[in-house]
Amino acid sequence: MAETTGAAQFRAEIRRWLADNLTGEFAPLVGRGGPGWEHELVAERLAWERRLGQGRLIGLGWPASDGGRGLPWSWQAIFHEEYARAGGPGRTGHMGEQLLGPALLAFGTPEQKARFLPGILSGTQVWCQGYSEPGAGSDLAAVATRAELRDGQWHLHGQKVWTSLAHIADWCFVLARTAPQARRHRGLSYLLVPMRQPGVTVRPIVQLTGTSEFNEVFFDDARTDAGAMIGAPGDGWRVAMGTLGVERGASTIGLQAGFSRQFEDVLATARRAGTIGQPDIAARITDAWIGLQVMRYTVAAIAGEPDEPGTQPGAAPDRVAPGTEPSIAKLLWATWHQRLGELAADASGPDATLAGPGYELPGAQRLLLFTRADTIYGGSNEIQRNIIAERGLGLPRG
Amino acid sequence: MDTPEQAALRQVVRDFCARHTASPGVLADGVTAASTWQRLAGELGLPGLAIGERHGGMGGGLAEVAVAAQELGRVLLPVPYLSTALAGVVLGRGSQELAARLLPGLARGEVTAALAVDGQLTVRDDGPTGGALVRGQARHVLDGAEASLFLAGSPAGRLYAVRAADAAVAPAGTLDQSRTQATVTFSDATAIATGADAGRAVSLLRALLAAESAAAAQRCLEVTVGYLKTRSQFGRVIGSFQALRHRCADLAVEVTAARATAAAAIAAGPAELEVTAALAKLYCADVFWHAAAEMIQLHGGIGFTWEHQAHRYLKRAKTTQLLLGTPGELRALVGDLAGLG
Repeated sequence: MAETTGAAQFRAEIRRWLADNLTGEFAPLVGRGGPGWEHELVAERLAWERRLGQGRLIGLGWPASDGGRGLPWSWQAIFHEEYARAGGPGRTGHMGEQLLGPALLAFGTPEQKARFLPGILSGTQVWCQGYSEPGAGSDLAAVATRAELRDGQWHLHGQKVWTSLAHIADWCFVLARTAPQARRHRGLSYLLVPMRQPGVTVRPIVQLTGTSEFNEVFFDDARTDAGAMIGAPGDGWRVAMGTLGVERGASTIGLQAGFSRQFEDVLATARRAGTIGQPDIAARITDAWIGLQVMRYTVAAIAGEPDEPGTQPGAAPDRVAPGTEPSIAKLLWATWHQRLGELAADASGPDATLAGPGYELPGAQRLLLFTRADTIYGGSNEIQRNIIAERGLGLPRG
Repeated sequence: MDTPEQAALRQVVRDFCARHTASPGVLADGVTAASTWQRLAGELGLPGLAIGERHGGMGGGLAEVAVAAQELGRVLLPVPYLSTALAGVVLGRGSQELAARLLPGLARGEVTAALAVDGQLTVRDDGPTGGALVRGQARHVLDGAEASLFLAGSPAGRLYAVRAADAAVAPAGTLDQSRTQATVTFSDATAIATGADAGRAVSLLRALLAAESAAAAQRCLEVTVGYLKTRSQFGRVIGSFQALRHRCADLAVEVTAARATAAAAIAAGPAELEVTAALAKLYCADVFWHAAAEMIQLHGGIGFTWEHQAHRYLKRAKTTQLLLGTPGELRALVGDLAGLG
């Protein structure tokens, strides 16, 4: 598909900006960070986030009136594609930009937007997500963290878990129970809580990779002011769910480009180890390459679909599972990536059984191990299947 | 994504198919394959979708043919559409003199064509004045039993037009009864050079088979989901069982991906057509097979009966997987073309 002149110019602009900026002090960041590697070069990546902010490359799709650039989806995709192609480091600002930002834009008051959006746009404030709890994983509506309003402040008690970047975050957006008597999701509210205060304790969780990028967060009378709730008390579920599919996978395009680099690494490994000569490995490599193309086509097609079924009659005939395309994309890439991890190890042969000093793992072993998380975080494969079956195919709940 | 014109075409073809079938792959009472074909050509102009208006066609392209192929494929309409429409696409790009001779008949549906590309075929081409002769046997010629015209050649060469009357056509019994095959023997058959590339024609047919497979797979899923919403066992609708719901969700993922992949193959430019069409046919036919196999399993015993529609999809799916490049052949081809060795 041919790009318009404007889009081609934008692509060139992004490419040039990345060439000019992802260099010098930031050169060591190329290809670092991201899921599985979140613990790497954190201070440098925080500085990089501010550089992105200076370049006005955060909030590309946000309305200009809210400090964004109001760019269409396809241009955002161009940014993510070029970013990944240049080996741009894993973002520390993605929670703020992709999860909290859309919530503020959709549900925030003018005061809240003025208070919180600039920090996201400038890359100076890092956010983390306080959703999951030990007793509320796939069943998010079972959140037990409590928040009480006393003397103009919300007081929080409870525990969050699998909180990426909590150890470097300035703020956390938290789902908490504000109406103890209300059942399930009806009693939940969406609160913005400062992380650097006596009532907040962050403890890293060591993963099966031996590294640590997720945390436990304990709220023990943590506080935030009364103005730091998005929506009304009890609106938390609506706010959290309403923004989940908003971004529609523009960053998934970037994910693809990153996957493409990883695939090339696996191919190079198979050639180096000589396993490419094994029919089984050769076939799996071809299937992985085919899967990469299939994902690319699918994500692009999903992005081109109208937001709501029926808004463009006839244009998108017979959508397979309307409204659940983000779940479809997640299942597709998580499953593909996990298989690539297995292939990375198998293509390495017996060398994949080795680890370096201090359990330092080479790329193939890290990919093998970390991709086990892909099918769990951000909604497990099983939860995505429930969403597709119920909301997309209309099958009854069990 | 359909343009508004394509969406309208889709609806017209869908309505037509509903009127002419009793169930998938089975024509309605009082309707014959011949009468269906005549109406499909005369009333809807489907064989001429990609044929220029000056040759009596509709002036569309491969995308419009794909829309028709998807709708016919959803109900396994037993007509030799795919191969005839493909001939319209292929000949429009070849010799203009031959196009003027052959395309009007194809557009009217009076001529039905099939692609006979086989490594066994040899061609003696003595140039513009001397004419050409085709020799050898082509097996598994799709839509070959009804064809009145063959586009014959070896995979790496060019296509030659041969009248069916000048070849020995042996219709084969087929697993999939909604699509014919033939073994076609050419014994120095008189042939006319079309100028069209055989490899490109094979790729285009693969792209169309991919589009058809994605649509048929989606139909399998729709029918299955519909059944799971009504069938009760253990006092509840079986679609509420997670073991079954999750299998449908997995199919929804695959069918969504297959549709997008087929669309990419249909839209592919010349440089990427061969690899995209090969991977799309491979992927979409596999998805189709999976959808049809799940359709039988999730219907249980009724799905195993002759009376039920599921087996017709299963047979079309297996046929599509194995013709125009088996999964193994296509995987090897894609690996080569993508430089993965």
